[in-house]
Amino acid sequence: MNTEAGRQARFNQLAEDYGTDLYRYAMWICGNDALAKDLVQETYLRAWKALDKLQDVKAAKSWLITILRREYARTFERKVPKFTDVETVVVADDYELEPDDRTEIKLLRQGIMKLAPKYREPLLLQVVMGHSCEEISSLLGVSKSAVMTQLFRAREQLKANMQKDGLTGNVHGLY
Amino acid sequence: MSMDFTEFLRKLGAEPRSKDPEFLRARQSGPEFEQASQVAEDFERQLERAIGLPAPEDLLSHIKDITRENATAPMLRWRPMAIAAGLLIAVGAAGITWNMNRGWESVDQYLAEHYHHDGDILLEKSSQEPVDNVETMFARFDMEVRPELARIVSVIKYCPTPDGKGVHMVLNTEEGPVTLIYMPETPVNDRGTLEFDSMSALLVGLEKGSAALIGSNTQSLSNLYAFVHDSIIPAVNAG
Repeated sequence: MNTEAGRQARFNQLAEDYGTDLYRYAMWICGNDALAKDLVQETYLRAWKALDKLQDVKAAKSWLITILRREYARTFERKVPKFTDVETVVVADDYELEPDDRTEIKLLRQGIMKLAPKYREPLLLQVVMGHSCEEISSLLGVSKSAVMTQLFRAREQLKANMQKDGLTGNVHGLY
Repeated sequence: MSMDFTEFLRKLGAEPRSKDPEFLRARQSGPEFEQASQVAEDFERQLERAIGLPAPEDLLSHIKDITRENATAPMLRWRPMAIAAGLLIAVGAAGITWNMNRGWESVDQYLAEHYHHDGDILLEKSSQEPVDNVETMFARFDMEVRPELARIVSVIKYCPTPDGKGVHMVLNTEEGPVTLIYMPETPVNDRGTLEFDSMSALLVGLEKGSAALIGSNTQSLSNLYAFVHDSIIPAVNAG
């Protein structure tokens, strides 16, 4: 495998491994399908140009998230876009769900959209990207204990949002 | 010392899938721990389903396309297709001042190739239903679109322009569906016109950037000039 082919294979592997999750992450931070796709494309474009700087493949996920967060901040440093179409993106797959699950998931999505960014972002990094608290701490530049508090509160708020809307299933019975 | 229940719940709420040995031991240290773990696991499964939005089917192929054309610009993959099909017949666009730096030799060529690439496809996607993300899409350029124009946009997407990213829209006008391409960094010869295939284009110099209205030869684009010129403006809070 020559160098260029190897470089391309490496890039394609990054696309396969993280493309979908990066889109989901982008979608949840900007709430807009077109912007999310744009952010992911910009992220990978920058990654392609700087691929040789990525020495440790284990660091790829954090590296890509860092690029995406920076791109998001750069693009919207003056004006944060409004959430517009998370609901429209998820409609298609929701038909496969049981009615109770659909209601619960809808409330969860509404809850996620309502979360303050300081709670939403660590939750996304953990649930979408699979980052540990230590990794989130490093990515966000806050202490691990602060991350744990934010994650705990994020889940508390989601559960409270579901209870407020009359959903009292056992998923949050002990909290 | 083993983890007490309160501490366990805090850990469970923050990191329910933790592999911490002490936490894993605590999960099995009594019925209340086990029940709490089960409840948390149920919640996590629902949370994952809620967060796991479906990605566009063509996402990965678009990402992989970046490596083609040496990725000097993300959308340069259009170029070979466009060149192969390109039938540029520019008329009356003399004086367009633009210095090629992204692979197109002029705004004329760019517009013709761009329209040839997906102009008809987007027109086919257009409906009478307005889209609701025009403001958001233009925010990245520190631009605003007046409601009068925003409410007749039926399709909108980001697109390449000679000088970076821009916006490709379809407007539902009294003249019928008309394509509008916004080029935030590209100067044009204001009110210049060009023709390619059976299409006409009218260039609009804006306060920031420019736009091209593209329609069929039977549509009167000049009727839309002032409307577009006055509707795409710098955002009030732009620095």
